[in-house]
Amino acid sequence: MAGEQDYYKLLGVPRDATQEQIRRAYREAALRLHPDRNVRPGETELFVGVNRAYEVLNDPARRGEYDKELRAAEAETAEKSGFRCTVLHSRKALLQLDEPQVHYLLFDVTPAPGFKVIRPPVNLCIVVDRSTSMRGQRLDQVRSAAQAVLDQLDASDHAAIIAFSDRAEVVVAPDQAKDRSVSRARLSLLQAGGGTAIAQGLETGLTQLRQSFQRDGVNHLLLLTDGRTYGDEAACLEMADRSVTDGITISGIGIGSDWNDRFLDDLTSRTGGAAIFLDTPRAVTALLQKTFDDLGRVFANRVRLEGAFAPQVDVRSAFRLHPDPTPLSDALPLVLGHLGRDDSIRLLLELVIHAIGPIHELPLASLKVAGDLLGQAPDNPPLAIEIRCPVTGEPEHEPPPPEILATLNLVSLYRMQEKARHEAELGQASLAARRLENLATHLLASGERELAKAALGEAERLVHTRHLSTEGEKRLKYGTRALLLPSKSGAP
Amino acid sequence: MIECPTCKHQEFVGTLYCGECGTRLVHGASVPTMEVSRGHVEPGEGTVTKPGAQEGPELESGAILGLRVVSTGTVLSLIGRENYTLGRLVPTQAVIPDVDLSPFRAHEHGVSRMHAEIRLDYNGVHVIDLESANGTHINGQRLEPQVLTPVRHGDIIQLGSLSLQLISRYRV
Repeated sequence: MAGEQDYYKLLGVPRDATQEQIRRAYREAALRLHPDRNVRPGETELFVGVNRAYEVLNDPARRGEYDKELRAAEAETAEKSGFRCTVLHSRKALLQLDEPQVHYLLFDVTPAPGFKVIRPPVNLCIVVDRSTSMRGQRLDQVRSAAQAVLDQLDASDHAAIIAFSDRAEVVVAPDQAKDRSVSRARLSLLQAGGGTAIAQGLETGLTQLRQSFQRDGVNHLLLLTDGRTYGDEAACLEMADRSVTDGITISGIGIGSDWNDRFLDDLTSRTGGAAIFLDTPRAVTALLQKTFDDLGRVFANRVRLEGAFAPQVDVRSAFRLHPDPTPLSDALPLVLGHLGRDDSIRLLLELVIHAIGPIHELPLASLKVAGDLLGQAPDNPPLAIEIRCPVTGEPEHEPPPPEILATLNLVSLYRMQEKARHEAELGQASLAARRLENLATHLLASGERELAKAALGEAERLVHTRHLSTEGEKRLKYGTRALLLPSKSGAP
Repeated sequence: MIECPTCKHQEFVGTLYCGECGTRLVHGASVPTMEVSRGHVEPGEGTVTKPGAQEGPELESGAILGLRVVSTGTVLSLIGRENYTLGRLVPTQAVIPDVDLSPFRAHEHGVSRMHAEIRLDYNGVHVIDLESANGTHINGQRLEPQVLTPVRHGDIIQLGSLSLQLISRYRV
């Protein structure tokens, strides 16, 4: 009976509304929705609903009864959901203010307890750039790393290896992947030569994944590249969007300094994946292994934050802090990707809240954590989260929670790097150089000597050449992101 | 709107870090903004007479700067900022130092509310006297107010008559 029949929502009043507030809301709604007056289809039904809601809520005894039922029903739904979520606010209360104010929310999504522990079948497609620049150590490392993953496939797993240059071809097909001698022979045929047409590789890879799609497993595409694709970016992004609806995630590994990090970030983050920067191909093996291990530990895929924010609330930025720190699009639903068992998804939202009048509480958002649990009994409703915050007239002096402060400190370093890069691109070299020097100071203060040195090096370079190096750009971007990893920031 | 004290950039109320220069914009009212670790060091160890005091293990992980209160041996780790004001918190006043020395009888020692500042940049660590009533001394030398003076690991910074020893893992 809860959910669609939430009488409070129907009347648009908070749960602790006074009888007077309820009466006022009802009168307003009734006038607007009355069958003699209403215009849109469905409003007569709404009018009936509003009347029923008012009948119940206007009678304190019946309201009390209803509250109890509502809470029980909601608790039951929350209990059945596969997710748990905690939300931390940067301030205990918002300020009554006639100008905008900023508020931060830190979300921790974890698997609900009591579900059976299973390893989901993995359907993995590794899409390898075999353009000329991959020749030598890069491709050698990729070959042996791919072989190592194929050697560990379970009976229920599927894997394919695709290579692309100007066109794409299947190097190891799913039916060859588990036969060691065949896959080895096939991988040795993987030779460098040609350009980088990522759309070709993606399309072939996604087709393979769809053919061996695992309804109760993880379907993942891993793209390895060291170059730029030209002209087919839009086609790639479109494919990524389609793959989200199908439940396929895409992650990327960029080797060296010549790949397009913004494109790879965009491509992967819209599916819930992430792009990773490798300055040396030697790390490919470890990274591929980690990707494969993580896929075998996925508890839920297509995890997303849905719902709506209140009209006076804007999302200024969204940042997934864990796993794989990545800035996200600021529009709902937020695509969060995989949730591992024994793991969490940590998300930071920066909200701008417009003028707040003399009220005691502001509902900020009505959200839902949704996703598909792998290999569990059906009927796992999304987890509903109502976010509200008290409003005061007096500024509070309590400091923000340390987790939020620590995280934002690191996010602000990431932002400085982004800003400097933007300024450098606009030709404001000296501005960008000063910003990087400032960033270096902050990095030093956090004990990040290597990264500080890189920032100073780039600042110097800006002064001399007016440009950043493509390698320095990536080192700073992924370096400041990596600060958010749990080993550094103390996140879970 | 609120204004960043470092670069004068305007930010919305509630913002925690300046979007221009990364300076932290919030202060706790009654709690010092620093994470202060009060790991006690053996008082018997004559830290004062040994200028090359041992580095680091007493600092919190992640900290590269710290101050040892010579009289008690308490070590205060300085984390996460590029400048730290030293002083004494007076509950009725809005002056809030980053490091509040009142637990160490700062008032009796003649420490001003805003006494001195420790500034960290890529040229090294510096101390600035903020026109305090009783002055700041480095290894016995009195500082001119508002002048940056470089300090190194092991130096004694004296605020009024309160002695602090700088612990620094910072190398330029």
